[in-house]
Amino acid sequence: MSEIESAPRTVRDVVCGFCGLGCDDLTVETDGRMVRARDVVCPEAAKLFLRRADAPVPQCSQSGVVTSESDALDAARVLLAGAKATLVAGLGVDIDGGRAVLDLVGRFGGVIDHYASEGLFRNYTAAQRTGWLSTTLAEVRNRCDVLLVIGDDPTAVFGRLFERIVPPNPLFASSRKVIFLGAAPGEKARGQLGHADIVHLEPTDLVAALEAVVGGVQGRTLRGETIGGVPTADLAAAAAALKDAGYAVVTWNSATLSGDGGQVGALVAERATALVDALNVTTRAGVFPLGGRDNIIGVNQMLLWRIGYPLRTAIRSQIAEHDGTLFSTAAALKDADLLVWVSAFRPEPPPEFDGPVIAIAHPETRFARPPEVFIPVGTPGIDHAGTVFRMDSIVSLPLGALRVATLPSVAEAVRLIAGEAA
Amino acid sequence: MRVRLTGGRVLDPTHGENGVATGATRTIEIADGRLVEPTDLPAEEYDLGGDIVMAGGIDLHSHIAGGKMNLARLLMQEDRRAYPEMPGAFCGCGGGRASPSAHATGCRYAELGYTTVFEPAMVGSNARGAHLEMADIPNLDTGAYLVLGSDDYLQRLLATGAAQEQINAYVGWMVEATQAYAIKIVNPGGINAFKFNARKLDLDEANPHYGNTPRKVLQTLIRAVTELNLPHPIHLHGCNLGVPGNDETTIATIAAAEGRRLHLTHLQFHSYGTEGDKHFSSSAARIAEMVNANPNISVDVGQVMFGQTITASADYMSQYRNRPLGSPKKSIGMDIELDAGCGVVPFEYRDRNFVNALQWAIGLELFLLVEDPWRIFLTTDHPNGGPFTTYPHLIRLLMDRDFRNAQLATLNKAAQKHTLLPEITREYSLEEIAILTRAAPARILNLKDKGHLRTGGVGDVVVHTPDSDAEKMFSKARYVFKNGTLIVKDGEIVETVTGTTHVARPQFDRGIEKDMDRWFDEAIGLKAKHFRISDGELRGGAGPTILKCERTGS
Repeated sequence: MSEIESAPRTVRDVVCGFCGLGCDDLTVETDGRMVRARDVVCPEAAKLFLRRADAPVPQCSQSGVVTSESDALDAARVLLAGAKATLVAGLGVDIDGGRAVLDLVGRFGGVIDHYASEGLFRNYTAAQRTGWLSTTLAEVRNRCDVLLVIGDDPTAVFGRLFERIVPPNPLFASSRKVIFLGAAPGEKARGQLGHADIVHLEPTDLVAALEAVVGGVQGRTLRGETIGGVPTADLAAAAAALKDAGYAVVTWNSATLSGDGGQVGALVAERATALVDALNVTTRAGVFPLGGRDNIIGVNQMLLWRIGYPLRTAIRSQIAEHDGTLFSTAAALKDADLLVWVSAFRPEPPPEFDGPVIAIAHPETRFARPPEVFIPVGTPGIDHAGTVFRMDSIVSLPLGALRVATLPSVAEAVRLIAGEAA
Repeated sequence: MRVRLTGGRVLDPTHGENGVATGATRTIEIADGRLVEPTDLPAEEYDLGGDIVMAGGIDLHSHIAGGKMNLARLLMQEDRRAYPEMPGAFCGCGGGRASPSAHATGCRYAELGYTTVFEPAMVGSNARGAHLEMADIPNLDTGAYLVLGSDDYLQRLLATGAAQEQINAYVGWMVEATQAYAIKIVNPGGINAFKFNARKLDLDEANPHYGNTPRKVLQTLIRAVTELNLPHPIHLHGCNLGVPGNDETTIATIAAAEGRRLHLTHLQFHSYGTEGDKHFSSSAARIAEMVNANPNISVDVGQVMFGQTITASADYMSQYRNRPLGSPKKSIGMDIELDAGCGVVPFEYRDRNFVNALQWAIGLELFLLVEDPWRIFLTTDHPNGGPFTTYPHLIRLLMDRDFRNAQLATLNKAAQKHTLLPEITREYSLEEIAILTRAAPARILNLKDKGHLRTGGVGDVVVHTPDSDAEKMFSKARYVFKNGTLIVKDGEIVETVTGTTHVARPQFDRGIEKDMDRWFDEAIGLKAKHFRISDGELRGGAGPTILKCERTGS
């Protein structure tokens, strides 16, 4: 490492690729191996950017025993060649890593899924059946005058969400009203929304309350004192506010709406879609589904253009087949005889699995049991450059390298495994 | 690597060479990816036995990449299932017909003899994604037209009376930042007006927020691309797409160009009158006459082909209006980043449906009534009028009058009464097809080393075996060479190669950068420097093929 690279420095306008919100204004300090995000950073990003100077040098291992990289690659190749039902999961990778993983699955066969895809597929129950009318971050930021937030306060997951999508000086919105239908907004959300008119409606039955709002917008008379635990008058008022909006936006995070085995998330997506459809008859509105953790949107996009199917697809003998239920990580694990766990953004441990595991993963991953093969990889946006997509699937961002890489990227590791198998 | 093709009859309309008419053959030689003077050096030789040799086909308007195509793929999984992977090692990834995967796009185009395709509606905020996707399309060189006109930055400049020089700087900055080749206008200002809840916007109607008219957007951007000396004129998807009576808008739009170069895309969708008891009629004759009289105008047709497809457009205003017509009944719409929008609506064009049958006839009327083959291009606006894989059928419709009339006789009876087609005797010659599909697109795109077969040209060469059935002839090329590498043999892919991406690099006043930085920081919520795409991000690090645009002065 050269003197300049090891000298302490401050890097501005760093892009963060972790949660899917796509913040690109972080300031990061580096000093040799040390990396620390300094300000305008959410707690999640602060944790995920942090690299200590005294961190142990990561090494490849086989069943917990340190091995050379070439031995680990060989062992991975042998396992892949011998497997009949491989599941490639985790998939926290940049676009180039995703391309390499897809090539690997094309060659060896297997099921491909991302560990955070539950929310995405809850949304797809609506998006693929009826379609939807959606919007993107800069539109919400400047046009939205009434925002309906369904479910939990999203700032727990997307730390700077309201700072980004509801800043104080929009180009067009003349007022800002934010209606929380679900849990109460926390202090952080309230802080970011200081300039907005906040309404909180706390339902006992989220879907019923949302459905009432949809009904109100569609012109149905809402009866009874309460619906879903919310005073009917409040729901009618919310419907009226949405209908009177110049540009209404409906947002939710399906990943956290896991009630009824995920049915709540799917129903919320469907009702939100219906709500926005109804609003667009007379005014303008869009859904703004939250998600995008660890480049799930980017990997999903790449799969769509490369093979024509989204995540949860199986490739066998170079023929792809998609099934959102059958090829989910949870379902495919039951039939798998090999798990390839790929997770470069964070030390996300693989799910419980009795068979052999190849982990191409973050060096700090803590495994319940040592994987048969562990190949530690660098993190996109810290150790190497890469591209990630934002949650709205439109904008993608270039991640830069903050220090000299000592570990391979996922793309490099996977190509080493696949390339030598040719 | 040297390739020698002997005994081929060369069709090179750029240089007036017509071996089909004269019967003369000429040896074509390719070395290091370029056409060279024939030598007697050792080479891979192909005896063509009188087959027809043309430059690689160029499609100047086909939606092959970008977010809207991925939304189409997501929405139309049934299309993907109905058209699975082709057998063979080279087509093992992807499928689909109306919204094919990147790999299928590259392979199916190559089989038809096409080697260059332009994505005509790249939204700036989605440009990085579109370029990532184009890099995964094998066998094709690509390029993209940047959608401008409904972006709030431009609307704001127009509303505040910014000088043309400032507009030019903005356009230049955007072309460079997004690695675009040309400027596309989609429903000028209409996508923006829809965000302010306008449901239509005529050529002289004011945007509800900014007050700008589509005419102002169009004329200002025509001037910008002229003064920046971009290689392609404004590529215009006009106002009122698909609306009966939009013929008046189209005629007014041609007049609005005031003699400056303008390309009207998918003209078929903009050539509708309101005559007859169904208030939907063909204005193709009237529009063609206007095109014939205005040599500054070029057009592509956007022919409708019967069957299931999916329509994907940045024109969210029009696509929202078309939602109820969708089949199957589902659709996606999106407002995008103070930039543009998109609408994705599956559509089935039915031959027994009056409107669909007449749309088909209107497209053919335009093809046959526009006289100059150098100013009209063969497109279906893939996939909006139909998938590009229907081109061979379309070529036969143009070349074979009996076939055309026989097809017409099977269509909706009322529609048959409303078309001039039976009276039109014109049949396209092979030379004219070569003009429409390679020579003319190369000229209108200013691709000097493409679309012809002279020394120095790119080694993209296609060989077709003549057949009285033009559909059969053009369905499967005998040979296709991409940069001198054989990629198709007897209609089958035998190799996949990596293409390049064409970009234009205009000169502009970089004083604009400070304002762009501020705009992105405050309005977009993203750094301008992260919006910009570096050369190294294209084609897996290989970078683009750059056309430098020299300023000619304003």
